[in-house]
This record gives sequence, structure tokens and C-alpha cells, in this order.
Amino acid sequence: MKHLKPANKKAAEYASAADEGREEEVRLMQTMVGCTATLDPGWEVDAFGGVAALCQPMEADLYGCADPCWWPAQVADTLNTYPNWNADAPAAQRDWRKLQSVFPEDT
Amino acid sequence: MKRMSPKSIAVLSGALAFLASTVADAKDFLVTGIKPDKLVVVDAAARKVDKVYTIPNGGPGPLTITVSPDGKTAYSVVNRWESVSGIDLETGKETFRVDLSSDTERVKIMFGMDVSPDGKELALYESAVKLGLGEYEVQPTRISFYDTANGNKIRSIPAPRQVTVMMYSSDGSKLYGMGRALHVIDPANGNIIKENKTQAWDRSNYYPPDILDVWSQWEQAGIFSTPYYAARSDMSLEDPTAYWTGMLTLDLKTGDFNLVDVENTDIFYFSTVVSPTEPHIAFGVYNNLAKLDMKAGKSLGRGELDHSYYDINISSDGKEVYVGGTMSDIGVYDTTTLKKIGQIDMPDGANMGISSMRVIKR
Repeated sequence: MKHLKPANKKAAEYASAADEGREEEVRLMQTMVGCTATLDPGWEVDAFGGVAALCQPMEADLYGCADPCWWPAQVADTLNTYPNWNADAPAAQRDWRKLQSVFPEDT
Repeated sequence: MKRMSPKSIAVLSGALAFLASTVADAKDFLVTGIKPDKLVVVDAAARKVDKVYTIPNGGPGPLTITVSPDGKTAYSVVNRWESVSGIDLETGKETFRVDLSSDTERVKIMFGMDVSPDGKELALYESAVKLGLGEYEVQPTRISFYDTANGNKIRSIPAPRQVTVMMYSSDGSKLYGMGRALHVIDPANGNIIKENKTQAWDRSNYYPPDILDVWSQWEQAGIFSTPYYAARSDMSLEDPTAYWTGMLTLDLKTGDFNLVDVENTDIFYFSTVVSPTEPHIAFGVYNNLAKLDMKAGKSLGRGELDHSYYDINISSDGKEVYVGGTMSDIGVYDTTTLKKIGQIDMPDGANMGISSMRVIKR
């Protein structure tokens, strides 16, 4: 933190946490994204360290995981915030191009 | 007892013969859901879609499905898991509806849903959050019971957290919830009658098991089943043979709870189903289809599938299994050879996702 200066209160808190060796706690709290606390790395690697035990193809798993918010950080939250994210794409293997990034809306 | 006349005997014999032929002629139908809001009925033997119904406000797609004991009504979790819709399987009309959320409370249900054996009550495992002006307040989890005749709530009982699937005992006196243990719950008052241990099991030389079970598919054998995965604590975790796949089963008639290791873990199964004709045999599905002998504690063979599938169910004669969920086709496999013998494509290629795939007889 020698070359970075905290620009706001949150950053200052993070800097002091780093000084106290608690930066891991701060990072952990910041992974609370989406509608559950689950952050599952299964999309990228399976329990054996390979990819053979992942869903094949990935599109087979997309809605089974996205709709129940299993991947809250990776895809749009269809349960609460973006209910229509995949409404016009009922077949992931065919319609995946229709799935777009989402951004917070001004309220 | 009054003596029966020859005419009465003839009428009774005819009625019994009709009943016997009706039972013998009953066909297996699969009931599943596809995105964005459709309920699909499949004639299993004919390998074709029989009916497709639209569920009002059914997005992003039916999740858990349970069918009334008379096979007439399919209850589906819909509306972003905040409602249950009951669809008449003959007419496609919505004959039951509960919308759980209100302006002050958001209620989600996911996999915990079952209908009582007498068909009168629908039990839902509810996770509720109170909506404050600036904060959410998580509420205790509960099981609520709804009158299938009119959708009115009858009662709520407290329930342990982290329950996924839920099923009635055959006589309706108990409700089982698969969570950190397999809870045995009194549906009248929520009292925990018994805990069948899983996470806190006391098996020596084993670490606690991993269990992920969100698929309701026990109706054919009347036996709930799920795979578990556990590592030996008396072996090096660098040793691949320290990891075991096992089968957890619960007989819904007797309450018998059993855990048996079946093979070293080199592949996974997302879900399993028990054979109605050979109750010691189970079939597991994910990227492979496997046949597992729960008496001998071993695998009897496996085969690769065209793609991943979540669900598996089985015909009433035990001769073929159906693999579904994930994408847009149901695969049919021979239970002896594990070879593919059929395929049923969903309308418009729509995905089943994580929808249930139930078997009914009509």
C-alpha cells in the first residue's frame, strides 16, 4: 500500500485491514454478489482437477444452474433482479447468442 | 352375509375383470417442464410428446413437479419459485394456485414439495425474507400446508434449515426432509421424530459425506435415493481409492434408512432412481448412466451418455430408464444392456433445465 492512497472511506477501511492482516476477510465479504452466497468454481474445473466431470456441453448446465441462482456471481440473477434475462432463449444450445450482459438500471 | 345371486356374481366378475385390465393396461407417462413456462406430458412407450400446457406466469420454467396421487393434477413450482400452479393433466386448465409472496414478505420455494398420500394437502418448504425499507430480514424456514381443494393455507410448522427435497411416508404420518440429516418430521406439529444422520454420521474412518439432492423421483419404487460421496479418513487423500461413492436410500413405506458404498469415486451421479421390480438395484445419471447393486455394494456396469442429464426415472416394468433435464431430449435406455433404445425431443428444442421428471400411470 505504499504507492496507493485510499480515495474514499471504504478504501481507507481496506487499507487499514491490510495493515492488520485482515484483507482476506474483506475480500471474502465482497464475494456476496447476487441472491445467494454461493460462489462455485465448478464451471471451470471439476472435483478431480479436470473438466471431464463438468456438464457436457456447458449449455446443458446453464439454466439448471442459473435459474436457481447457483451461479449468482457469474450470470444474471433471474430469480429477483433480472427475471427476463433468458425469457426469449428457451434453448441454451441454440439461443445462447441472445443472452446478454446485464447492468444496474437507474432508479 | 347375504348369498349373492348368479347375476350379482357375473356383474362383480365383470367389474373385477375390467379393473384388472385397467391396471394391466395402465401406461407410463412422463411429466416434466420446459422453458419458459410449459408443462409437458410424454407417452413413454410411444416415445412421443402427448400434451404441452402453458402455465400462467410460469417463468423462468417449471422447477419441482409433483403429481396428485390420482394422477390428475401436476403441481409445479413457478413464478421465480414464488408460486405453485396445479394444472389439470387432461384439460390443461389451472385448477390450483398459491402465490406465496406479499408486499412485505418474499417467499421462495425450490425443491421441497410433496402432496399428501390422500391428495388433500400440498406441503411446501418455504424460505421467507421480510422486506424492510432498507434491509431484508431472513425468517426461520418453515413447512406450510395448503388445501389442494382451494389453495388456502391450513397451517405452518417450523422446519430445519437447508432442506432440499421433501417427501411423505406412504401412510402420510411422516414428512421426510433431506438436509444436513434426513429429518423425520411430524407434519402435524413440526416435531422432529428422528434424525437419520448424514453430515454428523458416526461411520469410523470416514469424513462426512457430500450430498447434493434436489431431484424428486421416488414414486416408482416408493424408495427415496440419492448418491453420497465420502473420503476415508484412515487413508492418504492423495490416494484415489480413498474416495467412495455410496447410495443413501429411504423406504417410504417402512422408514428403513440405509447407506452403502458402491464404488470408488471416479465419476459423479447427479441423481439416482431405484428399480420398482428389483429394489436392490439403482440407476445413476449425469455424464454416464450406471447400474448399481446396493445389496452387493458394487457397480454392475456403466455407459456414456450423449450429453449430461440431471434426472432419471424408470418404467413400471423396470425394463427401461428415462434420462432427462438439462437440454431438450429425454433419452431412453435399456436397464439390462444400458444401451440407448429411444429418444423423445421436447417441443421447439426448449430446455428442461432443472425441472423434475415424474412418472404417472394412466
